[in-house]
Amino acid sequence: MNWDNLAFVVFPYISLTTFTVGHAYRYVADPFHWNSKSSEILEKDRLKYASVLFHYGIVFTFLGHFAGLLVPQSFLTSLSITPAIHMRIALVSGMLFGLLALVGAGLLLWRRLSQPRVFRHSSANDLATLGLVALVIALGTYNVFFAHCDVLDTVAPWIRSILLLSPHPGLIATVPLTYKLHIVAALALLGFSPFSRLIHIWSVPVPYLFRSPVVFRQRRAR
Amino acid sequence: MKIKAQLGMVMNLDKCLGCHTCSIPCKNVWTNRTGAEYIWYNNVETKPGIGYPKRWENQDQWEGGWTLGKKGLALRSGGAAKKLAKIFHNPDLPRIDDYYEPWSYDYEKLTGSPELKHQPSARPKSLITGENMRVQWGPNWEDDLAGANVTGLDDVNFAGLEKEIYLQFKNVFMLYLPRICEHCLNPACVASCPSGALYKRDEDGIVLVDQERCRGWRFCVSGCPYKKVYYNWKTGRSEKCLFCYPRIEAGLPTLCAESCVGRIRYIGVMLYDAERVPAAAAAARDGDLYSAQTDLFLDANDPAVASAAATAGIAAHMIDAAKNSPVYKLAVEWRLALPPHPEFRTLPMVWYIPPLSPLVNLSEKVGAAGIIDRLRIPIKYLANLLAAGDEAPVRLALKRLMALRTYMRSKQLAKSPDAAVLEDAGLSPDEAEKMYRLLAIAKYGERFVIPTAQREGVENLHRERGQCGFPPQSQGRKDE
Repeated sequence: MNWDNLAFVVFPYISLTTFTVGHAYRYVADPFHWNSKSSEILEKDRLKYASVLFHYGIVFTFLGHFAGLLVPQSFLTSLSITPAIHMRIALVSGMLFGLLALVGAGLLLWRRLSQPRVFRHSSANDLATLGLVALVIALGTYNVFFAHCDVLDTVAPWIRSILLLSPHPGLIATVPLTYKLHIVAALALLGFSPFSRLIHIWSVPVPYLFRSPVVFRQRRAR
Repeated sequence: MKIKAQLGMVMNLDKCLGCHTCSIPCKNVWTNRTGAEYIWYNNVETKPGIGYPKRWENQDQWEGGWTLGKKGLALRSGGAAKKLAKIFHNPDLPRIDDYYEPWSYDYEKLTGSPELKHQPSARPKSLITGENMRVQWGPNWEDDLAGANVTGLDDVNFAGLEKEIYLQFKNVFMLYLPRICEHCLNPACVASCPSGALYKRDEDGIVLVDQERCRGWRFCVSGCPYKKVYYNWKTGRSEKCLFCYPRIEAGLPTLCAESCVGRIRYIGVMLYDAERVPAAAAAARDGDLYSAQTDLFLDANDPAVASAAATAGIAAHMIDAAKNSPVYKLAVEWRLALPPHPEFRTLPMVWYIPPLSPLVNLSEKVGAAGIIDRLRIPIKYLANLLAAGDEAPVRLALKRLMALRTYMRSKQLAKSPDAAVLEDAGLSPDEAEKMYRLLAIAKYGERFVIPTAQREGVENLHRERGQCGFPPQSQGRKDE
């Protein structure tokens, strides 16, 4: 077994398995700690810019990855989005939102380390999570600015091959090292996320938009 | 009509002596934990002052409660979509310093000190950072008007008054304001919660935070105009006054009410028409809100109401309690108790009897009618606090309290009851006797008319035996 097989066949499945099983396990076994762990009450001024920049940056980056990597190019071409246009959209939005997320993550890390109130109540898990997030974003932003490669014919089909359970690690054998590092770091983050504060992503309160304002609850027979 | 039952409380500010005995058992039982040190489900403020957290009444700063917009009643800080857009940083959320940085002392420095030439000292240590700190604000920093000449300038209840004059030493007045969660009929915290974790209990209207559903988005904290929902920075979830529901369900009063040495608190059941709540909260003028809310309450002694309540599924002993509710008597029958800041439009359910105060300018003779204008606490101030600026309900309550005193004095000292003062206040001697009894000498069972919860129908008591009260294993695990 070579390193590519380990990193791009074995590791992705380990990561995806811990991701799914981990979330299910945590939701059932530990509902009491399923929340956003906000520290806004302890420090608000630095959070104001850091958190907003980071979250808007990362949300749009995530949506971009989702649309760009999982949707086959043949489908986009039928919508008259040629590979060239696709790449341009991906690079420009990646630069913009990647930079927002990177600056935000950097500021969040600085805030967490420099503010005694926040630092004092940061667990090792919190620091590792934020550090890993910052690393993934830094590598991704580096790639989008400095290390262009033909993602559409390499990384994208490889990811789809993983999800379709017929992995082709050969597809990304030739991409630059920083792409490979980005992918491995992101997979590590994915696998770790169920055990971190990142679980709050799954609690995006969409039902709130459609709910009646005042909630009554009745005791019912159990 | 859709009848619901709701527990309410009345506090008689005329008898509050500001001893904080209510706060202590509440603190010891409910918030004596890491992350909750700064949280006081019950606190007592001295007015004038800015209170806890600082300037909580000023909704221009906090954007709490509801407002009447073009499309009707809406959360003042914005609807669901606007909230979700601000979920990464809530500009209206107070910071810990708006409450105070909790601290303790290193007592071992004192108890374990060897014999020294000078007394050892224990410096205040922050309970957040563990570092030495300078204590510059606390949970009751303005006790008995301390610093009110400075902080009083920010008291919004001075609207329409020359606050500089009233904050001068020779003119200054004060009153105590004990505060718990209002358990509102139209709670803004519940409407603000993105997770749907906050709810009103259908049986008794107590507002609670479901600790397993709370995701820590904190919009309840900023949404509550009374700032009575708190974020526990250790658990990452919000919590609030629970009206001591484990005691209430057993027919016992809340800890704050139980321990009150002045016996100023009354707890009772109110029946109200839930269907008309949205209309009442959307009353056209702020000044109409008090009467709109009072009109929601139904007289349980009216046989038609009692039978309608029974049809609506309200338990018989709940209806019986509503018939003897001291809260109904004080708030609706006698109009003595008033809701705090009705202009927040949440329809609060912990009401206050405005306090009488020493008379000023006694050199001039005034009749019984003019006497309440001689009270040291300006009526306008109380009206801003308890009636959205409308003086009429405050005047009526004060007039009745004053008439009651005059009448009882004439009866007990001069032995010639002076019913004329009562008539002037719209009371009969019979009503006055009842008021006197409830306000002055009411015993435990008269002040607290609390039905026990009927759980036998909804829970398998045999199965719960031996495990009731213990959290699921998941909650007991790792205390972080």
